[in-house]
Amino acid sequence: MNNKKTYLFALIPFLVLCILFELIPIIYTSVRSFVPEGKDIGFTFENYINIFSKTLYQKAIVNSLLISILSSIIGLIVAFIGAKAVHESKGKLNNIFMSILNMVSNFSGVPLAFAYIIMFGNVGVMTMIGSNYGIEFLANFPLYSVWGLLLIYVYFQIPLSTLLLIPAFDAIRKEWKESNALLGGTNFTFWTKIGIPILMPSILSTFSVLFANALAAYASAYALLMNNVSLLPIRLSEQFVGDLVQRPEFGSAIAVVLIVFMIIAIMIQNKLTVKKGI
Amino acid sequence: MDTNKKSSKLAIVVIIAYLLIPLVMTLIYSLFEEWIDILPRNFTLNAYIEIFSDAVFWISVGRTILISVVPIILCTIIVLLAMYVTYIYKPEWDKYIQILCTIPYAVQGVILPICVLALYTSVPKPFNNRIFLLISTYMIVILPYIYQGIRNNLQGIGAKKIIEAAQMLGASKFYAFFRVVVPNIMNGVTVSIMLSMAIIFGDFVIVNTLAGGHFQTAQMYLYDVMKKSGQRTCAVIIVLFLITLLISACAFFIQRKKKEEA
Repeated sequence: MNNKKTYLFALIPFLVLCILFELIPIIYTSVRSFVPEGKDIGFTFENYINIFSKTLYQKAIVNSLLISILSSIIGLIVAFIGAKAVHESKGKLNNIFMSILNMVSNFSGVPLAFAYIIMFGNVGVMTMIGSNYGIEFLANFPLYSVWGLLLIYVYFQIPLSTLLLIPAFDAIRKEWKESNALLGGTNFTFWTKIGIPILMPSILSTFSVLFANALAAYASAYALLMNNVSLLPIRLSEQFVGDLVQRPEFGSAIAVVLIVFMIIAIMIQNKLTVKKGI
Repeated sequence: MDTNKKSSKLAIVVIIAYLLIPLVMTLIYSLFEEWIDILPRNFTLNAYIEIFSDAVFWISVGRTILISVVPIILCTIIVLLAMYVTYIYKPEWDKYIQILCTIPYAVQGVILPICVLALYTSVPKPFNNRIFLLISTYMIVILPYIYQGIRNNLQGIGAKKIIEAAQMLGASKFYAFFRVVVPNIMNGVTVSIMLSMAIIFGDFVIVNTLAGGHFQTAQMYLYDVMKKSGQRTCAVIIVLFLITLLISACAFFIQRKKKEEA
């Protein structure tokens, strides 16, 4: 019997990794978020009350949710169009597209923020062209704001979401399209009645990936605006690293709030997926 | 059907154009001294010459490659081992593995490195070694992508039946999984691996949080240059980008070669 259980050893590296670098850090942070600031031990809700009652942090929550939801939806729409196009046209262009998606999925964070700075920043190319030729929209482009950030977030959502959606389209069989056509359905009815419902679990799980991706994104916002933008990840990081007075207990509470938002997103997605499964 | 194909092609071309514009602008910006009107002026390669002759840059690139490859290899092996157990022996455990591989979604970006930093800075050696922390954290970050890639591909090729068939031909379960199934799914898993590579290669927040100035990767180098010169920053971005491209090309090449051999 003992001999037969040796396969369980294969599980050990995985468990060690997850326990040491996933579970313990999260549990430690969660526990610490209930400790009064500056103390080693104790219990309080004060850290959480501070997050939800101070305007500075309320604004961070609203901005973070807004930018994450909007960028995910826009990214998903583009990804759907892109993945559907890949599904429908086989050939060289698909390979080029896949390579470019893989390529630009690396183009995020600091480099991406900088590319937008040289385009739309204070002395950016588009901004200068805008002011030279009297194009108001370009000259006064609000890059250094939540809307500018949204533009950057949408950019990095597109390659990720398209790469995640393309494999899902493999589930769509040619026969279904033919059956749909035989029964008098159009291309539009195929996608609304058959295609999208079948893809729904993939679409929702992609949405959850995108949402979480945007919610916790830090580098682009930091490179563009340093700490001058109210987003949860920025507020979180400044409690632990940087010039401000470090407040690890309060920061832990911000981390927990962020984690809770993401868990909600993942749970909603799981629930919807299960329902579709029945 | 033909118009359908044409509109598909058009959609792809439009998305490609949208995705390439910021990159192309960065490239042009790195090649000219001045760009304040429609056309840039004074072509120069000075920015590139400066970078290429800077040893600090090359060392930081080397660090980035090392810190990307090691966690990806380790993570893939660890997940394959775990999937070997849950896929063949204990399918009922898969949901727990899945939960463990979903948690990184909830702590991605800035959250996990902050949690790890808060916990491990005050513990004894070797656990507070920054490189060790960095590699381990990267492994957790890419865990969902590697896991999902492997799982989807296992289901995709119908691994259960292949294992049964291999067993009927006298192979052990271990042999069937690692010598028959794994080589067959690695093609599909390469996509996850490339995605992981892209994530780690482009990472700024984790290395900045966990290693700070102790381990200057290419992204950290870039962040430093950003404060000094716009043109040089663009050149660094382009060079880093080309290096990533080279890595992807290698991955594709290896993948294709394996396919031909098989």
